[in-house]
Amino acid sequence: MHEIYQAMEDTQFATWIRESGSIWAYPIVLSLHAIGMGMLVGFNWAIDFRLLGFAPQVPLLSMERFLPWAWWGFWINAISGIVLTFADATTKMTSWVFGVKMASIFIAVYVLVEIKKRVFVKQTSDGKALAVLSIVLWAFAITSGRLMAYLGPVSGLQGVSNQ
Amino acid sequence: MWPLISEFSKWLMTTQLSHDMAGQWKWGWATCETLHFIGLSLLLGCIGVLDLRMLGFAKHIPPEAIHKMVPFGVAGFSLCAITGSLFFIGAPFQYVKNIAFLFKLIFIAIAGFNILFFYVGGVHKKIANLGPDDTPPLSARVVSWVSIIAWFGVIYWGRMLPFVGNAF
Repeated sequence: MHEIYQAMEDTQFATWIRESGSIWAYPIVLSLHAIGMGMLVGFNWAIDFRLLGFAPQVPLLSMERFLPWAWWGFWINAISGIVLTFADATTKMTSWVFGVKMASIFIAVYVLVEIKKRVFVKQTSDGKALAVLSIVLWAFAITSGRLMAYLGPVSGLQGVSNQ
Repeated sequence: MWPLISEFSKWLMTTQLSHDMAGQWKWGWATCETLHFIGLSLLLGCIGVLDLRMLGFAKHIPPEAIHKMVPFGVAGFSLCAITGSLFFIGAPFQYVKNIAFLFKLIFIAIAGFNILFFYVGGVHKKIANLGPDDTPPLSARVVSWVSIIAWFGVIYWGRMLPFVGNAF
């Protein structure tokens, strides 16, 4: 496996992202990753809060209109995240914290899909339990994402500790 | 101005809180960073839903109904302001000489004046009585665009902090 991660890291693109020092490489990708996070988690949380009974005058089913904006955040982060993973494949792909982060995101996205299905489409659930799960899972994903700079093999732009 | 900022920063570094943040409190910095990101998401999402409604999305929602999400955005901002202040207290010289920090403060100020204009300038009053499917006035749409651009700017310059100047 290590050879594959090394090959990912050695691609011209990954090397440029990591080492060019250009503002358009690592810094921009990392900024997009923060903005995408805010959109994905933020809109998801707003939907969760409504499911839990806050802002009760908002028609519940109308909250579905904000789902596409959460998905925009998801795709911004999927793409920027893949780029960041390529740039530091040998350290990220072998980090247990990264594994925890990916697992929490996977489950959180699954919960979001279930909210769409059960609350908005079939309307068979009030979504309260799913909302609690969703809030906790995203907080967990953010926490493990940030702790990647502190636990396990540490990567990131050379000369910048990112802590 | 600079001697004053410099003196103040030096004094901050003599405080116990600064020592704690700078390393005495082992997981302090990492914990605050995590809360800063959680606050950022709360802010962007719960202010963002109102911005989107005022731009004409999710039109079935009466604007005042989605306005009830704003307290969550305020909670997110408070979380960021508290943890952000702790970073500054912990390592003031990482920030006072960093141009990205100045830009971040400018964008926060723009967002702040925008909110002031929304509440004191009468924009909130104009949208408060709108029903479902009503189109918000131009002033509300301008406020929404400024809000989105300003908060994206704050996140961008915040994320630029380690890459610009002397810091980190």
